[in-house]
Amino acid sequence: MRILLVEDDPLLGDGIRAGLRQAGFQVDWVRDGKAAETELRSQSHAAAVLDLGLPLKDGIEVLSSMRRAGVTLPVLVLTARDTVTDRVRGLDIGADDYVVKPVDLLELAARLRALVRRAHGQPQEKLEVQHVTLEPATRLVYRNGESITVSTREFDLLHVLMLNAGRVMSREQLEQAMYGWGQEVESNAVEVHIHRLRTKLGSDLIRTIRGVGYVLVRESAPT
Amino acid sequence: MILPRSLQGRLLVLVIGVVIGVWLITALFIWRDARSELDELLDSHLAQAAALLIIQQTQSIDDDDGIDTRVPHPYAPKVAFQIFHEGQPAVRSVNAPIHPMIPADRDVGQGFATVQIDGEAWRVFYARGAREDTRVYVGERVDSRTSILLAVLRGTLWPMAAALPLFGLATWWAVRRGVTPLRKLSRSIAQRGPDDLAPVVMRQTPAEMSPVLDALNQLFVRIRTVWEAERRFTADAAHELRTPIAAIRTQAQVALAETDDALRGHALRATLEGCDRATRLVDQLLVLSRLESGATLELIQVDLSALAQRVVAELAPAAIAKRQSLEFEGASHCHVTGDDMLLAVLVRNLVDNAIRYSASGASVLIKTGTNGDNAILSVEDSGPGLTDADLPRLGERFFRVPGTAESGSGLGWSIVQRVADLHAATVAVRRSKTLGGLEVDVCWLATAAQWRATRC
Repeated sequence: MRILLVEDDPLLGDGIRAGLRQAGFQVDWVRDGKAAETELRSQSHAAAVLDLGLPLKDGIEVLSSMRRAGVTLPVLVLTARDTVTDRVRGLDIGADDYVVKPVDLLELAARLRALVRRAHGQPQEKLEVQHVTLEPATRLVYRNGESITVSTREFDLLHVLMLNAGRVMSREQLEQAMYGWGQEVESNAVEVHIHRLRTKLGSDLIRTIRGVGYVLVRESAPT
Repeated sequence: MILPRSLQGRLLVLVIGVVIGVWLITALFIWRDARSELDELLDSHLAQAAALLIIQQTQSIDDDDGIDTRVPHPYAPKVAFQIFHEGQPAVRSVNAPIHPMIPADRDVGQGFATVQIDGEAWRVFYARGAREDTRVYVGERVDSRTSILLAVLRGTLWPMAAALPLFGLATWWAVRRGVTPLRKLSRSIAQRGPDDLAPVVMRQTPAEMSPVLDALNQLFVRIRTVWEAERRFTADAAHELRTPIAAIRTQAQVALAETDDALRGHALRATLEGCDRATRLVDQLLVLSRLESGATLELIQVDLSALAQRVVAELAPAAIAKRQSLEFEGASHCHVTGDDMLLAVLVRNLVDNAIRYSASGASVLIKTGTNGDNAILSVEDSGPGLTDADLPRLGERFFRVPGTAESGSGLGWSIVQRVADLHAATVAVRRSKTLGGLEVDVCWLATAAQWRATRC
């Protein structure tokens, strides 16, 4: 899952990026308010971690202008500003979560997963569609209750499809979800990973809509 | 006299005291005036009585009828007379002594005299008759005069004394009313909370109080400024410490969970770097807080060149690590008056900034010199310099130039400026002509040196 990290401090940014990668996220890191604004509007991330004290443009301004523009991307504010007034203002202006530095990386990852889950209207952390179960926290996939080994890319792809079950996802959307910046996207990567998932989980789970993209069907089609 | 400590009591005591004093002086004048008038009048009566006696004596010198010497009036014991004829007492009042009222040694023939008779003071007029052998003495007790005077004084002083409590009460009320604004002020200040530093506003401030009120309000403004600066500083400091601590924690946690050796090494090194940064930030904060809390300078004659050389040598390893060329050109006889430790802090911050914010392979040049009587230290680099927009923000606490990847506290400049201020030195920032980056010139003015000399 792709996360946008906005943090101007080199050491902290580096640490959070590494930590979130360990938790299985793809992390894109920008260091100032202007760049954050551009990236947030592109909507290519599942969620964003936003520092408030940023050069060029303050995080609060970035957040409010993004919300005014109608961007609903889940945003977790991670900041040193800890007064109740600051928290209330941050949440009211459009933050989905407000965390004061320093934060435990496991907690940060869990909060991000929760944000993504809520954004997709999922009641619980575990995703279940037909006979397939996916646990984002442990990054495990089950078929009829049996654990199945999937690669990182396969997991990310399945995760996105399951979050958007019943909705057709374009190839570009899937690529964006799977790859962070600077990661080489192989030309037929999506096709390859879809093929592998079908092999592991059954061929009728993911359908191809020719010329549009792929969809993970909610209920098994009557045969 | 010990005055009461309350202004009201003080005014009351003073006003009543002054009034009583004036009354007493008035009474004294009345006493003196009345006495001299009374003496004059009664003396003339004595003289007249004597004259009458003499005439009477002359007419009836031979018949020995005598004079009725009974006491016809309560005041009579206080007056007496004697007539001597040829040295023998002829007639006298009952209360008069047998001997002449004026002893022979004080007798000058005729006139007034005050004598002691039987322990009482008497005013006596004595005279000779037409014939040499008749002598007349007319006396009057002095205490009778005194009682008349006292009666006069009583008449004047009694009403005054009776009015005194009323007067005191009226004065007390007037004074109390007069100091009402003062009491209001003290009440309004007493009711304030410790953090209420709003100016005191009073309706119709008396003219005498408005300077006090103004001074008080100005003090409030100054306290508030200092207090707010303090509070902002503490809040800022706490915030600035949060980020490095968060970085340390995050990197440590990454290292703990990392299985890849290279990545773990990276995270551990970043953890150490974070510790160094937090330490430096704390050091800078301590220096700054010492400077802000009015550090006392230990002024001595400092060899600026030697000091700069020492600092450059100290920081050289950092420059070498970045493969920068670090140069020092020191002029001899470049002395300034100042605090050795603080000047070193200033130079270290400038050189450290130049090294830190210039890229690898850049040049940093430190020079000391004199311009006339002024001592100058300049630090130049071939780094990115500053944009015009960022230049004025340089002195702001915790301001860090946007886009700088290097970790800095943003306090160095505040420290440099504060130290320079304490030494009455000027700091100028411009684009370096020779190296193209930033150039910082610190100038100790010769006139300022004299000023400092007068201070220490």
